[in-house]
Amino acid sequence: MTAPVLAVDDLSVEYPTRRGPARAVREVSFTVSRGETLAIIGESGSGKTTLAVALIGLSRAAHVTSGRILYTAADGSTEDVRTMEPDELRRWRWRECAMVFQAALNSFNPVLTIWDQFLDTARAHGMRDARQVRDRARELLDLVHLDAGRVLRAYPHELSGGMRQRVCIAVALLLRPQLVIFDEPTTALDILTQRAIIDLLRDLRAKLGFATIFISHDLSLAAELADRVLTMYAGRAVERASVSDLFYRPRHPYSVGLLRAVPRVSGALGSVASIPGSPPDLVRLPHGCTYHPRCPLVIDACKREEPALIPVDTPEHDARCIRWKAVAELVGTERRAVAEKLA
Amino acid sequence: MTTAGPAGARLDAQTFPYGRYRTAGRWLGRTWRSPAMRALTKAVLTIWITTTLTFGLIRLMPGSPVDIKIEELTRDGAMTYEEARGMVGALIAIDLDAPVHEQYLSFLEHLARGDLGASFLSSGTSVSSIILAVLPWTILAVGVGTFLSFIVGVLIGLVAAYRRGGWFDNLFVTGSSIVSSIQPYLLAVMIIVVFGVQLRWLPVAQMRGATTPGIAPGFTLEFIGDVLYHASLPILMFFLVHIGHWVLSMKSATLGSLEEDYVAAARARGLSDARITTAYVGRNAILPLVQQLAIAAGFIVGGSILIETLLVYPGVGYRLDRAIAQRDYPVMQGILLVITASVVVANLVADLVYSKIDPRIGRPGGASG
Amino acid sequence: MTAAAAGIGAARALPGWVESTVDFLRLLSRRPVGLLGLAGIVFFILFALVVPVFVPVLDATDVTAVYQGPSAAHPLGTDYAGRDVLNQLVHGGREILVTAALTGFLSTLTAVALGAIAATVGGKVDAVIVAVNDVVLTIPHFPVLVVAAALLRPDGVVVLALLLAALTWSALLRQIRAQVLSLRERDYIEAARALDLGLPHIVFREILPNMRSYIVIHFILGVTAAIYLIVGLVVLGLVPLSGKNWAITIYFAVNQGALYFRDSFLSIASPIAMIVLFQLSLVFFVSALEDIFDPRLRRS
Repeated sequence: MTAPVLAVDDLSVEYPTRRGPARAVREVSFTVSRGETLAIIGESGSGKTTLAVALIGLSRAAHVTSGRILYTAADGSTEDVRTMEPDELRRWRWRECAMVFQAALNSFNPVLTIWDQFLDTARAHGMRDARQVRDRARELLDLVHLDAGRVLRAYPHELSGGMRQRVCIAVALLLRPQLVIFDEPTTALDILTQRAIIDLLRDLRAKLGFATIFISHDLSLAAELADRVLTMYAGRAVERASVSDLFYRPRHPYSVGLLRAVPRVSGALGSVASIPGSPPDLVRLPHGCTYHPRCPLVIDACKREEPALIPVDTPEHDARCIRWKAVAELVGTERRAVAEKLA
Repeated sequence: MTTAGPAGARLDAQTFPYGRYRTAGRWLGRTWRSPAMRALTKAVLTIWITTTLTFGLIRLMPGSPVDIKIEELTRDGAMTYEEARGMVGALIAIDLDAPVHEQYLSFLEHLARGDLGASFLSSGTSVSSIILAVLPWTILAVGVGTFLSFIVGVLIGLVAAYRRGGWFDNLFVTGSSIVSSIQPYLLAVMIIVVFGVQLRWLPVAQMRGATTPGIAPGFTLEFIGDVLYHASLPILMFFLVHIGHWVLSMKSATLGSLEEDYVAAARARGLSDARITTAYVGRNAILPLVQQLAIAAGFIVGGSILIETLLVYPGVGYRLDRAIAQRDYPVMQGILLVITASVVVANLVADLVYSKIDPRIGRPGGASG
Repeated sequence: MTAAAAGIGAARALPGWVESTVDFLRLLSRRPVGLLGLAGIVFFILFALVVPVFVPVLDATDVTAVYQGPSAAHPLGTDYAGRDVLNQLVHGGREILVTAALTGFLSTLTAVALGAIAATVGGKVDAVIVAVNDVVLTIPHFPVLVVAAALLRPDGVVVLALLLAALTWSALLRQIRAQVLSLRERDYIEAARALDLGLPHIVFREILPNMRSYIVIHFILGVTAAIYLIVGLVVLGLVPLSGKNWAITIYFAVNQGALYFRDSFLSIASPIAMIVLFQLSLVFFVSALEDIFDPRLRRS
């Protein structure tokens, strides 16, 4: 097995606040292999976006306080993103790791045409030949099913939300990166456009073979796209599993809660169950397991000490829960949606 | 739209006069809905109201300037009442014997032809020529002051936003807020008192006027240097008057655009800081300021009555003050009209400029797909 | 909407203005600049309106004591006629303050009345008011004012205030109109209308209290603008007033050449300092008010 494209090791990120540091990401570790899709899921405020922004060294208000972000280039050389010089980091971004933002609608400078923004991106990475950039842009826009001639001349506000998100994806692929981070890429879109974007992503990934980090609060989308899933709660990775293990055999009560909250098409089996309570205050985290105030399986031991991420009964599957066996008993091992089993 | 269908409508509009009225009504309705035409209508309306107001004040008020002038001319028996009346009428290009509404119409007609009448004081000198003589000085002093303050203010504002909370930000932004809260005239008086009189750094008495008396006008280095020497104090004053506004506006606009998602996205795409600062942050931050500059440009023509008078700089504002002191009503009226017109036109231009530099305005948007 | 309505209802149930004043002062105390502004305003009101009651006017001219420096008898020296500068300052603020306050009041009243009418009546009335407002906003205020003052020769506080208010009301109208339009849609206004409480009740009991912040801020800004304009008119010699106010001292200094006289410094700088400091106090206070009432209101 070759080295993973990205290996994140013990990454922590803090925001300074008046009341003290808000620990938005705490000692998160994971790897993304070549061509693989990792989904990072969690409620809003769980630290997903902070993590994504830290990965490409773009945190402004937040500080990365510890950890390593090891990136392995196509030639096999490995480097820590955190120790790169500013200019090296600037060139690394997009050439090696591109990002599609949640706010695709505002990802473009309103006073420049789409073509200008393609060209700006290309020039920043040493592509000087405008004709070459144009050919590449046309090729990519074709790939995302847009009318390249029209889109390149357009200003961002002249395109619909779905079109802009497609353009974002095309720009992300401009420099043939090995890794693309999608931060809630479909949140602002209507359901049909969402569908189309997801299909497009799957298609592109198969054609181009880039690795993906897919950040979402929408588990059904994650289930469609991901190979592996990381669940985050209050800045911690609380569960790491393959997609089928996570969806059919979750071992952390929070993952179970999220899965129960997924609205199902077969609505006969009861309504959506949302997790009671709200995410904790990141400045004053609860003692012990940070999920215990909301956990239905809580015992006294949960309040004393924060559990480590430990291997559970299925292979390559970790959960940060001392009660994982109780969870296993509850949801079993059948290949059936958790929500149905618990309904 | 008529019930008779397209053919009927065409016949209607061409054959019958009322059809034409209806077309005109529709045209007016459409015009009012078009933002450009509405702006133009408002501009014309504003100029018309201002001129009508001054006409009313000058002509109709009891003991009006016209009556006072006639009384002055007849006082020593130098002229008969009729002669004086005729002369005043000729000066302001109004037939005083005509009914008021005809006087008003003829006044408007003269205005439309660009005829602002003649000065009360020196008969034969047209108001237009008086204004044209003082206009260059005002445009030089106020224009240079305004544009310099814009350029410097925008740069300071941009840097202050990038260095938010640093000494540069605190120094210039605090300074700007204080300077922009002080009445410009009082600031100017204090500058003269402190730097001109107490410290004697500025030879304020020597710098009065537009040029040193006796210097030969011409395209010589000496003359140009002298003009700039005399203009430097007014330029400085106008610079100080405006700079605070530009610094504060640019800083807050820059802070706003630094927060925009597209700036973060541009950073993620690996764009250089220089490119992001100019084309992404700066360009978006400066958009509303360019519009404000266009509006400010309209005020250049009016100069400043107070500051030009204080510095004895012979611009439009100074001339207006003289005209008031001398009760030279045609000149007063003419200058006020020119000032109003330039402000109104500048407002129109500002809208136009904005729609040119901001692609989001005035273009069809929101394609679907 | 319902939450907002409930919140406002709850606020009104509290023991009234005492509560809100305490609340306001607590918020203000966290803004040193605003506190400074308020202190300045209080000082100038006392100095210009209350102190003169206890201090006799010293108007005797003394040609032997022109432009004297500070002394025990004359803490700020003497002016061009040998009069005490401090005494001139004490008696020179009332007229400006009263005219400016009256202007602010008239201007606010006009804007609120026309804005409320435009928004509640709508239709052609609204269109006309908005069009007039646009014209008044566009015309260059100071030149128009100067010409109008030169032709009308306003010589009383009330006439001058009316003239100034005619030019300054338009800044607030749009805000008031927009506010009334949006408030009209709110639940509790709907409820009042459903209860058939009548237009005056709706405007004065429901809508206006919700626009306090706009009204107070505009009033203070109106006072500031009025002082600018009054000082401008006085230094051009266009409004005589009583012959005793801070701006007239400046007028004499500039027009009689005392400006260029080295010894005249204190007698010129003192009235300027009074006007500038009063203006700064108003501006500081308003910026704190804007911050407190609604951070989004903050001007750039």
